[in-house]
Amino acid sequence: MRARAQLLLLLIFAVGSAAVSARPVSYVGGWTFIEESNRQSTAALIHYTPSPSWSLGLRNEWVRDANYAITSLQPTYLLKRWFGQEYQANVYLQGGLGLASGTSGNPLSSTTAATAGVIADWETRRFFLGYNARYVDAGHFGDNAMQLFRMGWAPYEGDTQDLHTWLMLEIDHRPESADSVSVTPLLRFFRGPALLEVGFNIVDPTPLLNFTYRF
Amino acid sequence: MNTITHSLIPLFFVLLSTAAWSQHEHKHEHEHEHGASDSGADVATATPATGRLTITPEIEIALANGGNAVVAEVLGVVCDFCAVAMNKIFGRQEEVAAVYVDLDTKALNLVFKPGASLDDDAIAALAVQAGYRIAAVHRSDAILGS
Repeated sequence: MRARAQLLLLLIFAVGSAAVSARPVSYVGGWTFIEESNRQSTAALIHYTPSPSWSLGLRNEWVRDANYAITSLQPTYLLKRWFGQEYQANVYLQGGLGLASGTSGNPLSSTTAATAGVIADWETRRFFLGYNARYVDAGHFGDNAMQLFRMGWAPYEGDTQDLHTWLMLEIDHRPESADSVSVTPLLRFFRGPALLEVGFNIVDPTPLLNFTYRF
Repeated sequence: MNTITHSLIPLFFVLLSTAAWSQHEHKHEHEHEHGASDSGADVATATPATGRLTITPEIEIALANGGNAVVAEVLGVVCDFCAVAMNKIFGRQEEVAAVYVDLDTKALNLVFKPGASLDDDAIAALAVQAGYRIAAVHRSDAILGS
């Protein structure tokens, strides 16, 4: 039953990981560094974009409470992008295949790990909506699924190279957690190639810190 | 977590965002008074106008050197990452002397090196490499506001 549920999640969510914090496919020839830290894990990702429709990254994620880390290759495919005069919307499929290893004295041996997910966003210069669903299978270290929804509002429209500021609210659902649903208000600061997000989970008291830099 | 902490967190966010907003307003007042921004990208068009070239110092120099200008309307340009992508892709073309993506006018502003140019199809193809789409390309003297 559990395996069928996992398969169903895979089918529904296709492939992935990474939050809705930043576009996971850049311009052709571009490199992007992403750091994400939330109530469950801390991760670093660097990815390269060889084509407008996909990127390939190397990701390391430390699942803090479960004492393991996953190092994986992470392809991201831009399934669809909608363009408008005032908006842009995207749907990405994301996968990952790598190795899960114990941390902090965890005696379990390393094993293969896989992730799969979908990211969707819609954005204008004043409003943002995002959704991310992800499933992780880390073998004997465990498996988990999560989904998160984010909405944002910019109090002003910044021009090119201005400091852009967003007020955002993130709601995440992690069925395996004691607090399965939690809420994180956060601030996004954005200027040029750098993006910083600072927030605090008010249900499961944990800071959120995300950083992206596009080279 | 206690009630006081719960109350202070939203207050913290409101104060931070208000400070950022105030800084933004002050910066734009400064630009209107002096025609310059502290980002180094001085912008001469105080009122955005679609199809008009945005004059930055780099664009002004490239025009003075005899380059031809193009303004391309871009779909989907909503953030600085969009501008960075377009600047990177177009900035590495040998024909291009200056490039500036204006989020207010949603336009890609290009000035070519003297005697060089890119045709509309090439501009559209490069925009796709950046992840965006061109809606229209303007090349007449009207883009200079003359």
